[in-house]
Amino acid sequence: MSRVRRFRNSNFQLALLYAGLFTTSILVLFALTYRTAADYAAQDEADEIDVEFVAIQDEAHLAGDGYLPQIIANHLRQRSSEHAAYLLEDAAGQRLAGNIAARAPQLGPQNLRVPVDGQWRELRAHGYRLANGDYVLIGQDPRALRDMKHLIARAFSVNAAITLLLAVLGGVIISSRALRRVDALGRTTQAIVAGDLSRRLPLRGTDDEIDRLSANVNAMLDRIEDLMRSVRQVSNDVAHDLRTPLTRLRQRLEQARRRGDATPQELREVLEGAITQVDSILETFGALLRIAQIEAGGRRRARTTLDISALLSGVVEDFAPAAADRGQLLLAEVTPGLQLSGDREQLTQMLVNLLDNAIRHSGAGARIVVSAHASTAALEIVVADTGPGIPAPERDNVLRPFYRLESSRTTEGSGLGLSLVAVIAKQHGATLALADNGPGLRVTIKFVKNGAAARRSDAHVTLSDAFVQR
Amino acid sequence: MRILVIEDDAETAAYLQGGLQEEGHVVTLAADGRNGLMLAATGDFDVLVVDRMLPGLDGLAVVRTLRASSVGTPALFLTTMSGIDDRVTGLDAGADDYLVKPFAFSELAARVKALGRRPRATAATTTVLRVADLELDLIKRTVRRAGQPIALQPREFRLLEYLMRHAGEVVTRTMLLENVWDYHFDPRTNIVESHLSRLRTKVEKGFAPELIHTLRGAGYCLREPG
Ligand SMILES: Nc1ncnc2c1ncn2[C@@H]1O[C@H](COP(=O)(O)OP(=O)(O)OP(=O)(O)O)[C@@H](O)[C@H]1O
Ligand SMILES: [Mg+2]
Repeated sequence: MSRVRRFRNSNFQLALLYAGLFTTSILVLFALTYRTAADYAAQDEADEIDVEFVAIQDEAHLAGDGYLPQIIANHLRQRSSEHAAYLLEDAAGQRLAGNIAARAPQLGPQNLRVPVDGQWRELRAHGYRLANGDYVLIGQDPRALRDMKHLIARAFSVNAAITLLLAVLGGVIISSRALRRVDALGRTTQAIVAGDLSRRLPLRGTDDEIDRLSANVNAMLDRIEDLMRSVRQVSNDVAHDLRTPLTRLRQRLEQARRRGDATPQELREVLEGAITQVDSILETFGALLRIAQIEAGGRRRARTTLDISALLSGVVEDFAPAAADRGQLLLAEVTPGLQLSGDREQLTQMLVNLLDNAIRHSGAGARIVVSAHASTAALEIVVADTGPGIPAPERDNVLRPFYRLESSRTTEGSGLGLSLVAVIAKQHGATLALADNGPGLRVTIKFVKNGAAARRSDAHVTLSDAFVQR
Repeated sequence: MRILVIEDDAETAAYLQGGLQEEGHVVTLAADGRNGLMLAATGDFDVLVVDRMLPGLDGLAVVRTLRASSVGTPALFLTTMSGIDDRVTGLDAGADDYLVKPFAFSELAARVKALGRRPRATAATTTVLRVADLELDLIKRTVRRAGQPIALQPREFRLLEYLMRHAGEVVTRTMLLENVWDYHFDPRTNIVESHLSRLRTKVEKGFAPELIHTLRGAGYCLREPG
């Protein structure tokens, strides 16, 4: 962990900020304490001077004013160690006693800077006027005040130093622990980036922000891993399902080449067969791409509110003759005027695929009904036929790309029709359900009203989703 | 017809040129968009075949530029399967038709012919289409054969209208799906064939000669006898 990183680390910055805040509040507290204490000490000192003056006054009262110089001298002697200053002047300003030089009388509290005991000193003093007109000045060293100030200042600085030290230390400890965690996350992420998709971010189980973030990232990784797995599955399926017809095509062409005596007519037939086969492979590709396109374009495409009843009836009309040609009856039982927000082309394709299935997978004599009705909450489109239907255990399987029932092997198709239906339904926030029609297949597509737009974001489907269902 | 093919892939270009020349067209090739645009701007062509993906100036820009400088030569847009909205953007840019690669040559040939003979100007003023003794009134939406009224379903009417507008031309199944049904995909169920056989029964049965012909592997054609 480099120095730069430590100082850039947000936790450390936070620790510093706290230390700063702490120090500031201590400073404010100190200033307040200092003021109060100083005021108190100053008052104390003033009181002390007053007491001294009153004592001098009392003694003069007992002994007579004439003894004032002696009294002052006595007091001076008693406090010789305290660097106190005394001055007695008569009304004319003549100095009568004391240890400082005569000066212009000034009454009340004052600061004094005088030489006492051979040294210049800053003293707190008070000037008094006696009844006989004499002037008395008493000054003393404000040592209590100074001591108190020193004490407070020292207490503060020690305190502040300890606080700062603790804050910084705490910050470093916290931040290095957080950094260690972030480093661990970083290492895991790098391993994932390097290709190990099975790795997950470590959780501490404390449910703090980092834990929750990690859990989210892990969920995302789960999803990505799922998608990757299904993409692999897709390519395997595609590879497999295209290899079969390509192999057959190759065999056919090779056979034709081996037969040296083939007539032009025969060769022509082989070529035509080959083209048909290539076309069917291309068709499979086309269908796969279409599925991919729908899921890719689903979000971008402009949806319009369309008359789904008209759309259904129209498609039924288009397919009715083809059904009739196979001896089937195709009917629409649609509530007129139903509105739905969606992509016209996709919805048309969805219905076409279902009708295709109903017509091609159920035999002659089948009855195929397309119905649509709406309740206040949902709109349902049902395509039901009376053909052989799909056995219950296979109903999920047939939604998978390329999956076809054993019984349909002889019917042409690539097994992508229902996958496309599933993707279109999901893109529209609709559910797709296959059920027994007793007999036959009953496909229900249910659109939840007004929910389609809101659900679209969480119902994002990918080609791989169709595969994940397996 | 004089056809300009703007296609950068040499093999595809040669394939298109050979095939179209066999059909009796005069084909000019341009290997990139800029060249193609310059040639097309002369207005010396009846049909343009423009690939979507071109080096330099792409097909979309070529068509858009031509239309902006009021060169109205019909253009057929060639797109790939993976071009999601190419059809829409191509038609928006001013192309008249589109075809997804890979395609059967017969499909391209039919579409080029249809584009080259597109009834322009006259289409707006024509109210009655006539082929031999078959008559289709676009305003009254009625059909008569040899003077006898024939009742058609709306879809059958549109199908017949399209065939008559392209009388004498081959129309393919996908052309019909796109223009009559507005299906831009090919359902496995052959709905065109079923509708056509019904239309035939109504329009041809009891009448002679036969007007609607099926051309195996190519499409359909409604044409005057002889
Ligand atoms: N209406 C139905 N009745 C009976 N079986 C059905 C029906 N619809 C689908 N199936 C079965 O489900 C399988 C998958 O259907 P799907 O539409 O995906 O593919 P397909 O129809 O075989 O081919 P494609 O749709 O690509 O032409 C079908 O092969 C068929 O076995
Ligand atoms: Mg199908």
